[in-house]
Amino acid sequence: MLNKNLVVIGVSTGGPFTLKELFSELPPLNAAFVIVLHITPEMDYRIAQGLDAVASMPVALAVHGEHLKAGNIYMAPGGFHLKLDGNQKILLCEGERVNYVQPAVDVTMQSVTKSISGKVIGIVLTGMGKDGAEGIRHIKKIGGITIAQDQKSSTIYGMPKAAAQTGAVDLVLPPRKIAEKLIELLR
Amino acid sequence: MSNKIMIVDDNEYVRASVEIICESVQMDLTSAACGEECLAHLESGFRGVILMDIMMPEMDGWDTIREIVSKGLYNGNIIVMLTGMGEPDAKMDGVQEYVTDYMTKPFGPDQLIESLQYYLTLLNVTSGTDA
Repeated sequence: MLNKNLVVIGVSTGGPFTLKELFSELPPLNAAFVIVLHITPEMDYRIAQGLDAVASMPVALAVHGEHLKAGNIYMAPGGFHLKLDGNQKILLCEGERVNYVQPAVDVTMQSVTKSISGKVIGIVLTGMGKDGAEGIRHIKKIGGITIAQDQKSSTIYGMPKAAAQTGAVDLVLPPRKIAEKLIELLR
Repeated sequence: MSNKIMIVDDNEYVRASVEIICESVQMDLTSAACGEECLAHLESGFRGVILMDIMMPEMDGWDTIREIVSKGLYNGNIIVMLTGMGEPDAKMDGVQEYVTDYMTKPFGPDQLIESLQYYLTLLNVTSGTDA
């Protein structure tokens, strides 16, 4: 089944544990999940496999040209930016680092377009810096739902704080509450 | 299955605390009192979870990570900052991709053990294609 609902999650340091906490709470949902974690090619498959072990939906590193399917979790591989073509097709791109990182959350989120037939949800979780803030602003602008992790539960409150400071965040929540909200929105 | 941990900290009491915790769960701990010692252990073949302090004399934690990367010694390791610095400073910019987690002192033994066990599990993943 091709995807209609799309969830893009941006995360950095502290991400593996936070993602584990979030996805271990989620049943299979009617959405494709794209995770952009600041990661290197030496580590990406390890994190993906670690998440796959606890998530109810299958987790894999994103492959260039692949089409998103609902009920699947795609992790951006290290060393590439990940863009979405028509909110459906994965494009892995080389090029300059953005916000010091590759993959960058802003690149992925800013490639998302307004959805006519489904929901678009952008989430920024723990991490240093401000990557994801412009992406969240974009997601909000195209009519999406935006969520940032709260300070108390964040390993590093840099990225969620920068996202919240844009004024474009709908909800500020800890991972378990984010999971509850996703279930409410996507089940 | 690898169970190797390295603590990099100029404070001997922190190194001793981590040693006691690792011994309690049969983890194999290597100690380094500075960035240079960390690099020497890596050049001698250490691969595992590295607990890295930030504020150290001479070479701080961020500079040590930059050296690890530039010398090609990162692969096969997971780096976790273990620091008294509540929020990282701007020197972290550019090394985010190499810092998997950030723990602050004082730390609880249970929290540290849970994290180390999870990261050791990830290091023992062998497939390099996908999940």
